[in-house]
Amino acid sequence: MKILALFTIFVLIFGTTSFVNDAYAQNDLSILLHITTQADKQIQNQLHQVYGNDVPEKIQSLYDKGHMTVNSLEKSLPDDVKQAKKDFLTSMKLFKQISKMISEPVVKVQIIVSHVDQSSQLDRLEKHVLTLKTISKKLDAKINFENIDNLLIQTRNQINDGTENPSETIIQLKSSIKSIQKDIRDSTSNDASDKVKQFLTKHLDVIKSKLSKATESGADQNQINKAHELIDEIKALIDKHQINDAKIVFHELHKLLKNIQYSVS
Amino acid sequence: MNTETIQTHRKKFLREDGMLFVRTDGIIDTMTRIPLLVASLIIVVALIPIQSSFGSPRNLDLMIYPDGTTHVSTEIDVDPLSIDHELDLFGSTIDNFVVINENGFLLNYEIIGNSVLIETFGSSVITVEYDIHDLISKQSRVWTFFLDSPSDFTLLFPKNSAIIGMTNLPIDMQLINDQNQLTLSSGETEINYLFSTPIISTPVEPIDSSPEPNYLIYGIVGGIIASAIIATIIRIKQKTTKLTQKQQIIPVEPIDTEEIFKLKPDIREDDKEIVKFISNNGGQALESELRKKFLQPRTTMWRAVKRLERNGIIEIEKKDLQNLVKLRKNIEEEE
Repeated sequence: MKILALFTIFVLIFGTTSFVNDAYAQNDLSILLHITTQADKQIQNQLHQVYGNDVPEKIQSLYDKGHMTVNSLEKSLPDDVKQAKKDFLTSMKLFKQISKMISEPVVKVQIIVSHVDQSSQLDRLEKHVLTLKTISKKLDAKINFENIDNLLIQTRNQINDGTENPSETIIQLKSSIKSIQKDIRDSTSNDASDKVKQFLTKHLDVIKSKLSKATESGADQNQINKAHELIDEIKALIDKHQINDAKIVFHELHKLLKNIQYSVS
Repeated sequence: MNTETIQTHRKKFLREDGMLFVRTDGIIDTMTRIPLLVASLIIVVALIPIQSSFGSPRNLDLMIYPDGTTHVSTEIDVDPLSIDHELDLFGSTIDNFVVINENGFLLNYEIIGNSVLIETFGSSVITVEYDIHDLISKQSRVWTFFLDSPSDFTLLFPKNSAIIGMTNLPIDMQLINDQNQLTLSSGETEINYLFSTPIISTPVEPIDSSPEPNYLIYGIVGGIIASAIIATIIRIKQKTTKLTQKQQIIPVEPIDTEEIFKLKPDIREDDKEIVKFISNNGGQALESELRKKFLQPRTTMWRAVKRLERNGIIEIEKKDLQNLVKLRKNIEEEE
């Protein structure tokens, strides 16, 4: 029994950390080589595109160092973990340096960048709509997304065709998303309010009993009276189904309880 | 009935020389109960991470869009006994923010600078999603992602991007729909990447100067797009100017606060200041604006607004889940 107890304690204390470390060690090594090889190829490709066969000496020298470090990393695997990690960080530093040097003289085309921006913006809005659809479905909110879907298609077509400026449609889309969010809130407001109501009612009882104890232990009676007033106010607001107002007064009560060194919990 | 108590165990542990001998082997067995000890330890060890994890993410997933915006998705354990939860955001330029609890209800929130105050009211787990523009910077063609993460996280890169610099060692890497996804440790991480397909730079690659007919097409297309953009910018500017002019033209009806104070002589001095501010603000203001202006806590301002509403000086309207406070046009004299 004693051995079992000691073993359990040992596993609980040391088990978790050692498992995590093992998982890390098993995973990272091949990944490091994969990333550096990909970066190496990318840099080589960039050098060829920008300079052809006339790569400046300084950049070529840096690239050679980086490439050698990747080779060293490959050789270090799988046994010399320390060297492999060192090689990874060195090669990534060199490739970053080269990439910045290559990029210096290139002129960016802002037009295409703005085109990408609108496309990305639409991607984000699409994802946001998808999130709202998931929420709506989970809550069985029965929200009609048809209009918003049409706007998404319309905007996508405008971006792809390039014939019409999608800015106006994007504004419409954003406005529709806001309205959908409101619809979801409205359709579930009763359930959400019930949850808050349950929370408040449950905690008011706990607070009341704690206030009685506080009175016994000589806490400031004025503050305790004030707390009781707030409790009554919250209860009245709950009865009138003014849950949002009840929440605001509960915030006030919460602060007061902190003042008299009583937390809600 | 007489009962006789015979103490036999004392003698049992006495040696022949009469010295008291305490058996250390049996102390744990006799003084404590091992199963109880083990169970307690298990509970303690199990509770430590739960207690310390309130507010720390269960998971954190980031996705980079091609324009450098990052989508953040995180699930956080929150204290079910608390009424709200303050969450640090990774920056201040936030879009498409949404937060739900474990039941899927949309929760109310208020973003203040780099943090958000979420009304949890008994929720134990919240899921937060938002887009942020602060995590990526771009220098020439090199994009740099930087984050000081409170926990391990995954990072999904855009299609056709290639990582060319990293300050940390990744924990894991996966390929999802031709996109690299890295799992990274908590703490500061900087990753540099660029787009392997030169979508942006190809049309103006300055290296090859030999004349080719394609450049003419590029030129025409570029010219059309440039004209379209210039036209759009001019249109937007014109619209903005018109709007500004319109805004300037709309006459803001001055509301005589002195008249209000005459009709309602009993209102408090601090409430008068609120009325004056609303009046100068064109007769209406959001409750949040009032809080900021008068540096008052939420409840204090709420009470002041309610007081003014009861006095018939203002009316409250809901606007985008906020309270819009308006001065009433017809204020009745106090009886």
